[in-house]
Amino acid sequence: MYQLVLLLFVGALFVAFSLVVAVRASGPEGGAESLVRARQSLTQLQTDLLAVDVVQRFSSADDYEFVASSAPADVNALFRRERKKIMLAWIKQIRRQIYDLLGFHLGAGRFYTQLSVRSELSLALDFGGLLLTCRALQMLVYFAGPLVAPRLVGATAATGLRICAISERALAFLTAPDTPIERSIAS
Amino acid sequence: MKTVSKPKRSDVQQAVRDLQSRTLAPIERPLDRLIYLASTRDYNTGLYRHDGLSVRYSSAVACEALADCHRDAFQQLLRCSVKELVLQLEGYMHSARIDAAEFFKSWNKLEPYRVAVPVDTEPLASDFLCCNLKTALAILENRLTRIPAAPIAWPHQSPAQ
Repeated sequence: MYQLVLLLFVGALFVAFSLVVAVRASGPEGGAESLVRARQSLTQLQTDLLAVDVVQRFSSADDYEFVASSAPADVNALFRRERKKIMLAWIKQIRRQIYDLLGFHLGAGRFYTQLSVRSELSLALDFGGLLLTCRALQMLVYFAGPLVAPRLVGATAATGLRICAISERALAFLTAPDTPIERSIAS
Repeated sequence: MKTVSKPKRSDVQQAVRDLQSRTLAPIERPLDRLIYLASTRDYNTGLYRHDGLSVRYSSAVACEALADCHRDAFQQLLRCSVKELVLQLEGYMHSARIDAAEFFKSWNKLEPYRVAVPVDTEPLASDFLCCNLKTALAILENRLTRIPAAPIAWPHQSPAQ
């Protein structure tokens, strides 16, 4: 009886694994669409969402102190509510763009880039860490307000920019003439 | 925005320098620049128009140069603190020579800064600036309406007079 249950369990695992492989194989890996999406995500992260001065402005305490000391209570409350909404939208958007980049690295990225095992591991850790940090930040901002963790905001931006730098190298063939593909074609 | 033939980047850069040195130089505050540059945009087509620049270069180059400067003014404003925005709003109000009560009434109702953002602006950035401007406007309104107008000081007359 015990052996039968074990056999069924192993069989179910095998079927699930085959399904996952089949679904992933059916996707257009290496397609232009994923490359374009990754490039757009990268640009948006670097220029809009993770630009150092913008992040500093988002998480700066100066505005809160100034508004608290100069605005009536209802304006102050509205300001805090709006900033919280914007901060949550900012984190959500970073997560979305990071998922796009992750999709690129798991799919198309493998066709075009040759990252060392060490870089792959470091990148995986960065992706995992950033997604976890974003989730933690989202919870903190939601429950305790947007000013709760300026250091965490800084850490999120720093990790995000590190991932962007690696992804930029991986996507460099879209702009630079000297690419691994062209080199391999030439040789 | 309607597509026009892509002008040469070097022409656009030259037109930007021209625009900055002639038209935009006297407009110091980024808020004033944003409002001015937004006013050169046709709401129906999304294209910018500037007769002087169009004559000197071409309509396409002028349009691109104005769009560049508009984006630049928006980015500058985005990086301003609420405190700086209060000062800019106050300066703008004084330079436009509008009655304060009328200014607050129309700005609170119409929220003109919402239509003054460049096309293709990241919605998050636009929301962030609008939130800051709305708050700055409320602070300025509160400040100016709370302080009672100084009573007219009649020259003190001595009993001898």
